Amino acid sequence: MWCRVRGGGGLAARLLGAARPHGGARSKQELFSTSSVFSKDKDKSAASKESTPEGAAKRQEDGAETPKQQLLDIIGNMKVEVSYRKKLQQLKASENKKRAMDKLEGPDSEGSVPQGITEDAQRGKPLNPELVKAASAVASSFPHDKKQTESELLAQLRRHEETTDKQKKGGTLSIRDVISEMTIKRQSPAQRRARISGLMSLQLDEDGQRIRRERSSTQSVDSRGSLKVGKRLNIFTKAPTEPEHALKTVSSPTIWDLEFAKEVAAVTAQPPRNGFEEMIQWTKEGILWEFPIDNEVGMEDDAEFHEHIFLEKHLESFPKEGPIRHFMELVICGLSKNPYLSVKQKVEHIEWFQKYFEEKKELLQEI
Amino acid sequence: MAAAALCWALRAARQVLPSPCTRQARSYYVDWRMLRDVKRRKMAYEYADERLRINAIRKNSILPKELQEAADKEIAALPRDSCPVRIRNRCVLTSRPRGVKRRWRLSRIVFRHFADHAQMSGVQRAMW
Repeated sequence: MWCRVRGGGGLAARLLGAARPHGGARSKQELFSTSSVFSKDKDKSAASKESTPEGAAKRQEDGAETPKQQLLDIIGNMKVEVSYRKKLQQLKASENKKRAMDKLEGPDSEGSVPQGITEDAQRGKPLNPELVKAASAVASSFPHDKKQTESELLAQLRRHEETTDKQKKGGTLSIRDVISEMTIKRQSPAQRRARISGLMSLQLDEDGQRIRRERSSTQSVDSRGSLKVGKRLNIFTKAPTEPEHALKTVSSPTIWDLEFAKEVAAVTAQPPRNGFEEMIQWTKEGILWEFPIDNEVGMEDDAEFHEHIFLEKHLESFPKEGPIRHFMELVICGLSKNPYLSVKQKVEHIEWFQKYFEEKKELLQEI
Repeated sequence: MAAAALCWALRAARQVLPSPCTRQARSYYVDWRMLRDVKRRKMAYEYADERLRINAIRKNSILPKELQEAADKEIAALPRDSCPVRIRNRCVLTSRPRGVKRRWRLSRIVFRHFADHAQMSGVQRAMW
């Protein structure tokens, strides 16, 4: 029923279209004849004076002051008390006729008739006198209240020009515009039921956490519309992010701090409710191994196998002949077969021997 | 700052404090002999590598004998408690030096006590 404002449409075209036949009413045929005559006159009067929004805006810029007086006269005569129902009916009729006209004409259609909530009769900007004349003519052709229709049409024209001006200026968004643009959505009863049931389930949940998260995730993506899509209204400002705390140097905690900490830990630590929690606790404390068992827990040997086995490079500082060399080669042979020591430990082993023999050099030379 | 200190203290306390589930909390060794045994074990651990290397020189047929004699002297000079021979596998709970089963580190009396109360996993009264 209510439609969005897409943009200004050719009002005079709409007016003409409103006058065109829809159905088969005789009065409308009469209107058609009169309006066609009128349109011809209009075309003859000025060159390229089709009532497109751009044309109207251009013309409006040229003649600013003289039509203002005419407009003021018209406004003074108008009465702007419109009953809601009548207005709706008229708008419906005009819309239908316009749609029929659009189907007939084709590319000239420029959007649906704007349907506003309120009508302001008094706007500052002067309308084009041609348009005003056209509006008055169309209103006169209508069977209903002429003044009412005229006022409505003029209001629509004004609104339309306002929007075009705004678009020209790159108008700022105001909440009013946004709200006026918003549409009322119709919820199917099934959707309503789903929502209610969702809310009820949220309230009744005992293990609330997991299911609530799921619900919230699904609610954000409803079938008809999602909460996250749409223009930003720029109503709320982002909360300033808190500055990160620098690492505060901790002076050694006093005995009282330790005592307090122990107390807190004793109070907060709940005894395990079942065997699983007990096992978890033991694993944290280190009593229980972690499963699946990792054979290399605690062993962080990043060295390759060749570093373990080929240890002759460490024997460079030893004499190349004699019993010491023989001895050290045996040591190396034993180390290469040892899987329990790390490379670092093996190297330390050899270095110890080297140091020991360095100390004992005098003794060896006596021999 | 106080909060950070508290957090640190909490973490430390958690490691120190035993869990509230009932377990034996022991802050002293059973007797002085046990304590001395503990000291010996620690020392043996410290000197283990050195002892091994010196013994490798000593128990050797390749190196000259003078070297081996020097090594003998060296190893004798090490502290007495560093040798692993002085360690006695005492019962962990009662410090009983004899009748200790190696697998459980418990004396026979304690073992029997726990086994009868079904607190030893996988242990059953033998019957065949």
